[in-house]
Parts: sequence; C-alpha cells; structure tokens
Amino acid sequence: MAVYEQLYGAYEGVPQSALSRFLVIPRYALRDIFKSKLVTGMFLVCFVYPLIAAILVYLRHNVNAVAILQIDILELIPIDGSFFRTFMQIQGAFAFLLTVLVAPPLISRDLSNNALPLYLSRPLSRTEYVLGKGTVIAAVLSLVTWIPGLLIFFFQASLAGTGWLWRNYWIAGSIFLASAVWIVLLALIALAISAVVRWRVVASGAMLGIFFVPGAMAEIINNLFLTRYGSLVSLWATMNNVWAGLFFLFDRNSGSVQGTVTNPIYDKQLFNIILLEPPLWAAWAVVAAAGLICVWILSRRVRAYEVIK
Amino acid sequence: MSTSPTENEMQQPSLSVHGTGYHGWALWMRQTLAILQLELVKNFWGRRALLLYLIAALPVALVSMLSLLPPDADEMRELGRLSQVFAAIYGGLILRTLIFFGCAWVFMNLFRGEVVDRSLHYYFLSPVRREVLVVGKYLSGLIATIILFGSATAASMLILFYGLLPAEASAYFLSGIGARHLLTYVGVTILACIGYGAVFLIVGLFFRNPIVPALLLYGWEWLNFLLPPGLKKISVIHYLHSLVPVPLSEGPFAVLAEPTPAYLAVPSLFIFTGVIIFLAGLHIRRMEISYAGE
Repeated sequence: MAVYEQLYGAYEGVPQSALSRFLVIPRYALRDIFKSKLVTGMFLVCFVYPLIAAILVYLRHNVNAVAILQIDILELIPIDGSFFRTFMQIQGAFAFLLTVLVAPPLISRDLSNNALPLYLSRPLSRTEYVLGKGTVIAAVLSLVTWIPGLLIFFFQASLAGTGWLWRNYWIAGSIFLASAVWIVLLALIALAISAVVRWRVVASGAMLGIFFVPGAMAEIINNLFLTRYGSLVSLWATMNNVWAGLFFLFDRNSGSVQGTVTNPIYDKQLFNIILLEPPLWAAWAVVAAAGLICVWILSRRVRAYEVIK
Repeated sequence: MSTSPTENEMQQPSLSVHGTGYHGWALWMRQTLAILQLELVKNFWGRRALLLYLIAALPVALVSMLSLLPPDADEMRELGRLSQVFAAIYGGLILRTLIFFGCAWVFMNLFRGEVVDRSLHYYFLSPVRREVLVVGKYLSGLIATIILFGSATAASMLILFYGLLPAEASAYFLSGIGARHLLTYVGVTILACIGYGAVFLIVGLFFRNPIVPALLLYGWEWLNFLLPPGLKKISVIHYLHSLVPVPLSEGPFAVLAEPTPAYLAVPSLFIFTGVIIFLAGLHIRRMEISYAGE
C-alpha cells in the first residue's frame, strides 16, 4: 500500500475507563522492577522482620513451644502499640532502602530519554502519569509495610481472642495510616528527586543524602543546643515522632541532661535541662511541607516539552 | 649519516604516544594536566557542584548559628571544652557524614557521571592512556574536595572559636596550640578526601549501581566503633580517628583499640590509595562503554 493511502484510523476497540488508565503504567513498571536481582533480593530481605514478629506472636500463645524452649512468658515482648511501632520503624527503614532502589528510574528514564511526550500524547494527563508512577512505589512498599503489619495484627487477634481485638482495634488503623503517610512521602520525594536530577544513580545518591545528612545535622544540633527541635530537620526523626503519635506513644519529654553554669554566686552550678521533643503538629507540618514541595517540583518538572536555553 | 632535527621531531610523537622513555612521562603529565583542567571546571562550575557547595556550607552555617545563639552552658565559655565541642562537630558531622557523602558524590560521578551523560566515549576515543585519565580525574576530584572541605573545616573552627571566645581565640591560634590543631584537622580532612576519594572512585568504576556499596560502606564506617580491633583497621575512619588532635569517647558500647600512630596511619592511607588507583587503572584498560539502561 502506498504511503499516502495510510490514513489516520481511530481506535476501534473498547476504550478503557478514564479512572483506570493510569494503572497501565504500574502494570508494565512492576514487571521491570522485579527483573533486577538486587531489587528482588532486597524485597525478600524485607520479609525477615515480619517473619520474626510473627514467630514472636506465635510463641506468646503457644504454651507447648514456650515450654520446649524454656522461655519465661513474661520475658517475651508484649504485643501492643509499642510492638507495632517498632515493626513500623524497622519496616519503614527497609521501605526507604527499597525506594532508593526502585523509584529513581521510574521518572528519570522517561525524562532523560525524552519519552514523556509519548505518554502525554495519549489520553493520560500529567497527574495521571505521576499517579501511575507513584502507584508503582506504593504497591511495592505496601507489600512490606501495612500488609504484613495487618496480617500480624490479625494473626495476634486470632490467637488472643476478640477481647484483645476490641481493646486494640485502633492499632490496625494506626498501622495503615503510619504506613500510608510514609509511603506517600517516600513516593513523592523519590519522584521529585528523579524529576529534578534525571539520572538514576544520581537520584539514588541524592535520596540517600536527603535522609542521612540532615539526620546527622539534627543530631549535632540537638546535642549542641541542648534541645530536641533539631529533629525537625531530619525527615526520619520527624516520621518517628509522627508514628509515635499514631500509636499513642508520643511523649514530648524525652529525658534531661545535666548542664553546668558558672555564675557570680556559684562557681559551677548544676542544673537539669528537660529535653522536649517538638510538638506533634510541628512534625505533621514538616511532613506536609515536604510533601507539598515535592508536588510543586513535580508540577514544574513533569512536562511534555521544555524550553532549553 | 646524521639525522636532521626535523626527522627527530617527527619521531617524538610515536615515542610519546606509546609512553616509553622520558617523552612518555612528559606527555602523560601534560595530558593529566589537561584532563585536570577540564574536570576542575566541571567539578566547580557544573550543575552537580551545587550539592557539593551545599554540603560544604552546612557546618559553617551550623557554627555561625552557634556563635550567634550560644546555648547557656559552660561548654561554650571555656576554651578547653569548646575544643571538645568542635571535635564532636568535626567527628560526628564533618568527617563521618559530610566528607563521606561529598566524596561519594564527586568521585562516583567522575566516571559514572560521564556514562550517565553519555560522554565517556569522547575521552576513550582521544589518544590518551586510560590510566592517565584515571589519574587526571582522581586528582581533579581530590583538588575540588580538598579545597571545599578543607576550607569548610578551617572556617568552621575559626568561626566557632572567634565567635564565642574572641579574646581567648586570638591567643589560642596565634601563640597556643590552636594553629597546630587547626592544621591537623585540615590535614585529616585532606587524608579523608584522599582515602574516601580512592574508595569511591573504584566503586564508581566497578559497580553499575554504586548506591548499594556506598550504603554498605557508610554502615561499615559508622559501626567501626563496635568492630573488634583487627577489623577496625579495614576502614578509613579508624586511621583518621587516630590522627584527630582531640579524641572523643565513642560511647559505652565501643570496643577499645589502640589508635594507629601517625607514622603508620598516614603512609597506610597513601599506600591504600596507591593500590586502589593502580587497580582502577587496570580495570579501566578493559572497560567497555555501555550506555544502555542508564
């Protein structure tokens, strides 16, 4: 057939609903992600702690196992809000490492290879594109955070009975909410960094730097200024406070240090400085601000075209 | 029959390119300097340098804030204790975190950045020995990090002491041991850039995704205080800690080990760096560029 006879032909198949169009992106991206042995290995490592947690729950309710292992039942860790907060902290750290491996190529490859017009020329908006890429991260991170968390929660509930479930039902909500906040924040930060730096390795490095450098900075500020407000600089420390709040374990009084002051009356006067964690609303505000900045960066960077001067 | 000068000159390039004899070294030096010049411009003025400036500015901003808003404690009023405060800032923030990440950023990008930018083949196609390229790039990274982190170390110390105790600081730096401490801290910074630079250069060359090894290295260096004395020696931080003028306690869980004396620590770092550069040179000779998947 001659070229001039090849006219435009409209798509004749059944159109996909507008709401589910963005799901095409995760469908293909998830296949690519697990082709990497490193990601698959890391993903498996993420299940080590949930397995340990499940064994701890099982041991607490299995009299025979406790007797065989000669463990004092009181020495076993209580299964309460504190147990699940620790679970969140450990799985949250693994989720971060997984994000460093999984997230950076998602947007950076499209931007560095100028592939974005190919996406956006189809019936897919910029928001749907970002939502699709975010869904990839959310899907992977959900599998290592709230899904195993809730499974362990219901495992404990099935062994401890309905009384325990009624007393602690809020923990299920806290596990989900704590994971959701962390997943959304990680996804937004990772996508924003990828959109800015455009290179996978550099984006991974920048992501590590964003968490580790302010963490060290926060520690030094806290120690030098005898405060705990420095934690607001560190996203990890801030998230820990948010999680503590969600599990009703947040206590602003985080200890005290003994200071010495030489004044005209006493040579060296000792006094206690009570270290107060920043209020919970401040932690939420930092998380919200970080998220909003990332959304703003994404709205500026994810465009089908750009003017290069 | 005598050879004319013109013929001699014509023979020189072939000698130089193959790197035999005096002319080879002269050519390599010239090429190293040329690469150094190109790379220094990238390291200082490239877009990636922005993050480096930010990292180097962090301790200076912190101590400036500390000088402006000093906490009400004796640590900020006594010279002896202030030097411990600086030792904590230096050990906890500058050495362990900022220099580590700064060097990771600069040295991993020396080759990985070129692969990402799809420009490494320009170097590989030019008549330059690849070992010369490694040395030129390594030196450029070294100069950039030494200038930035050396200045950040010196500026942080001077701002802290002069900001909080101006009268005592003058005596401390001009006639006391302050100047020696300052030079030692800058010297440790230089050694840190040399050591970490070599490690990250080879990580950037050997690994397609250098983030995981960098993370493992960070963990290894951070957990160094928990390691048995034999294993402590397989790290850069152990030798650097042995050299700092004001040693700090590493906490109740630390496994104590004798610090390595300076006459062993400094040559060890240089030998280690030499071996790494040699390995990098061997590796790059067989390196093939693949831009796919970046």
